Amino acid sequence: MFLNSWSLGLTLAGLIILFLGVFACRTAVRVLRYWDPQSDSNLQIKLENEIWLASTLVEYGLGFQILTVVLFVLAADTFCQVIVGAMCATGALLANNFGMPALLVKLAGVFVYGFWIVLHKLDISSETYPLVRIKYIYLLLILPLLVADIILQSLYISFLSPDIITSCCAVVFGSSKETGRNLLEGFSRPTLLALYYGSIIALTGMGYVLLKRWLVPLAVLFSTGWIWFLGLATIAIIAVFSSYIYAMPYHHCPFCILKPEYHYVGFALYFTLIPASFFGLTTVLVEPFKRRNNLAGSVQKYQQTAIRISLLLLLLLTVISSYHYLLYRISGGE
Amino acid sequence: MLIELDNTTKIYNQGKPNEVTALHGVNLQIEGRTMVCLQGASGSGKSTLLAIIGCVFPPTSGRASIAGKQLSRMPDRFLTIHRREKIGFIFQQFNLLPRLSVLDNITLPLLPLGISPRERKTKARKLLGQLSISHRENFPAGQISGGEMQRVAIARALINNQPIILADEPTAHLDSRLSMEFMQIMTDLKASGKTIIIASHDTLVSEHPAIDKIINIKDGRIDVP
Repeated sequence: MFLNSWSLGLTLAGLIILFLGVFACRTAVRVLRYWDPQSDSNLQIKLENEIWLASTLVEYGLGFQILTVVLFVLAADTFCQVIVGAMCATGALLANNFGMPALLVKLAGVFVYGFWIVLHKLDISSETYPLVRIKYIYLLLILPLLVADIILQSLYISFLSPDIITSCCAVVFGSSKETGRNLLEGFSRPTLLALYYGSIIALTGMGYVLLKRWLVPLAVLFSTGWIWFLGLATIAIIAVFSSYIYAMPYHHCPFCILKPEYHYVGFALYFTLIPASFFGLTTVLVEPFKRRNNLAGSVQKYQQTAIRISLLLLLLLTVISSYHYLLYRISGGE
Repeated sequence: MLIELDNTTKIYNQGKPNEVTALHGVNLQIEGRTMVCLQGASGSGKSTLLAIIGCVFPPTSGRASIAGKQLSRMPDRFLTIHRREKIGFIFQQFNLLPRLSVLDNITLPLLPLGISPRERKTKARKLLGQLSISHRENFPAGQISGGEMQRVAIARALINNQPIILADEPTAHLDSRLSMEFMQIMTDLKASGKTIIIASHDTLVSEHPAIDKIINIKDGRIDVP
């Protein structure tokens, strides 16, 4: 399946990003060895210029790698048209052993790469590059994930064959007991809904308090709450809300909602949930950098902005996810 | 000390066959509210020194600081802000936009600051009045005389009320009368508290009574007589 515009695009983008990552790692090693902000040496001044270029390239590279989650899902959705048994991206991703791991690594990458970009933004918000070392150590640590991301994506594309018979999303995420494995067995709808709306209220409350008064233990709870909510909301979307969007009680696919026939509502759901979780989670992750030289103001500003964004996106998610459900409940159908 | 250079070196095309060392470990201190002339032959390193002081580019090694801050080594976004607030440039070729009016040329540095058009024009008109070129306000900058262009360039350098004015060969295209007029304007600016650094090999500049210090540069080194 390599000779396909999606495959070629993703592979080429992956190779370019990998090249940028490796180039920046060379700078990272030099930073770790020679960085000395007090020095006026030629090497230090060269490094200051070099990190500016390297960091900008990495910022855009990782930013694009985050976007490849969407491209990857869209590609899988396109591949399903030629794979036997696949009706949407679910089938295409399950067509070999690399699809789902590639997607999971990409989703993890959204958070890991995104945090590098946050660190970079904080670093350049100061006149003295206080996070250069941390930023580049972190870059070296995330490089294996970036490599794994691109390798898994390439393996998935390479081993994808139209001859493979795969599972339909109705089987994987369906509610019928006769169709074999079912990822959603064991989730009670009323419990899920109670937990979902309860968590939204709790997160909103904590966020509101944090905007008024910054309390570190509460911030830890808020960020931890977002990890919990990310998992919970994903399950709630698949197990509960999706069937109201499809208007089919037994259909629970997390990918079909991305299709045009459902007005791309899945994008609205995931584009609010994932960034909201990211900003909610990073609220506390940046806390240790407050003590760094000249960074207290920037960190505080980021935390306030991150909380506001996460709450705004949470509100949007609540409205979007509840719309079809409430419509069904109030008017008894579509 | 307002401006300090410590062991500052500038090498162009470092590591390449056409490598040129423009400055060799220059040490320099300039006090505020003074007028300094950087004197030297063409290619001696005057403009490079001026560019480093003006944070146009960083030195290859060494320290160049303004009011205790190493501006040239700051991240770009901070450097731009500091440079805009602290340094005004007057160039040899004036570098005006010929199709824009005199007023628009002068207000250009205010555009990124979010100042209202009305306030921008008020500020510019005040400077035009001070520099006696109010009558050219709406003329395209390309259609005024050399002396007037020079005044417009001065007005543009002053519009942000920066404390430091750097002028690179400002009298190179002016006759002696206009050069003297230029120096009179600089003298007035010095009296108003500005620090002025002029790179020039024009004796009209270096021998002007308002000059507090002459720094001779020869082959990228400060020449101590």
